[in-house]
Amino acid sequence: MSEMIKLSVFRYDPEKDDKPFMQAYEVPLSGSGMKLLDALNYIKWKLDGTLTYRRSCGEGVCGSDGLNINGINGLACITPIAGLKQPIHVRPLPGMEVIRDLVVDMDHFFDQYRQIQPWLKTTTPVPEHERLQTPGQRAELDGQYECILCGCCTTSCPSWWWNGDRFLGPATLLQANRWIVDSRDEAMGERLDQLEDAFRLYRCHQIMNCMEACPKDLNPTAAIDNIKRKILARKS
Amino acid sequence: MRLVKEPGSARSGFRDWYLQRLSAVVLAVLLPLPFVVLILVYAGVVDQFGLLDIVDHFVSRLLHTILIFALIIHAYMGLKVMIEDYVPAIGWRVSLIGGMLVMMSGFGIWWMAIIWAWGG
Repeated sequence: MSEMIKLSVFRYDPEKDDKPFMQAYEVPLSGSGMKLLDALNYIKWKLDGTLTYRRSCGEGVCGSDGLNINGINGLACITPIAGLKQPIHVRPLPGMEVIRDLVVDMDHFFDQYRQIQPWLKTTTPVPEHERLQTPGQRAELDGQYECILCGCCTTSCPSWWWNGDRFLGPATLLQANRWIVDSRDEAMGERLDQLEDAFRLYRCHQIMNCMEACPKDLNPTAAIDNIKRKILARKS
Repeated sequence: MRLVKEPGSARSGFRDWYLQRLSAVVLAVLLPLPFVVLILVYAGVVDQFGLLDIVDHFVSRLLHTILIFALIIHAYMGLKVMIEDYVPAIGWRVSLIGGMLVMMSGFGIWWMAIIWAWGG
C-alpha cells in the first residue's frame, strides 16, 4: 500500500454553510515529484467532487492556483508535497472574499491592476517597424515582466489587508514599475503622478512578505522602492 | 456590468515619507548629544555650572529646538501611519490624528517655553 498524505482543506459554501470549516483528506503519494495540485486533483476526481479550486496550466505560468499552504502563499501546481508538514493545511488566499472553498473573488485585485494602466503609452509617432531597445534597456525589465498576477504577494501583505481598498499592493506596484522602467514607455511622469499617494504607494512599510511569497522569485519591495526613488528624484 | 469608481491619486504621501526620513536623520545626529552631556556629568568632567553653561548656550538651545521639532515630526508621522493602518473608520482616524496633533503641538510649545525661558 502506498504512503498516504494527510491534508486539511478549507471548505466553505456560502449558500449552504454557516461558517467555514477544515475537512480532512488522505491521498496516496503518487511519486517523488508529486505537487500539491496533484493531491487536490485526486480529492476532486476520486474522493469529493464538491471541492472547488482554480487551476489551469499546472506548471506555474497561469497563476490560477494561488493558495495559502501551511500558512504561506504559493502556487499549488509547483509546490512539492515532499517537505510540507502534514497535515497540509490548504486555505484560500488571505484577505480576499471566498466565493467557495479555495476560490476567492479577485475582481478588486484586477481592478487595481487596471488602475495603473498596464499598457505601453506613447506620445511620439508610431515608428515604421518597432520601438527598439538596447540590450541594457531590455535588461531593466528582467524581474518585472515575469509576474503572473497570481496574487500570492498582494494577499500576503498586511498593509493590503488593512488598507486594500486604497493601497495598490505589491503585484500591481511591481507592474507599475515594469512600465516606469520600460524605455519605450513615454508616460513615466503621468504614472508617477497617479502613484504619488499616501495610500496607493506609500502604504508599503517594507514588511517584505511579498518577496517571500512570490512563486516566481520576484522582488516587489525593490520595485516599490524604485518608484519611491523616482518620485524622490523628480522632487529633489 | 460592474462599475469601478476610481478616485485617482491624492498627490500626497511623498512629503510624509520624506519628512519621516529627514527627521530620522536629524534624530540620529542630535539625539546622542544629550546623552553625551549626561555621561560627561556622571563622569565628573562637567560640573553643575558647566552643565548650565552648556544648556544655556544659544547653539545648545537652537540644537535642542531642532531636536524637539524632529522628535515631534517623526513621532507624528509614525503614529499617523499606525492610526491609518489600524483604525479603518475615517471619522475615528481624523479625530485621533487631530487629537494627537493638538497634544504634540502643546508638548512642543511647552518644551520651547522651557528651552527659551519664555516668561523669564
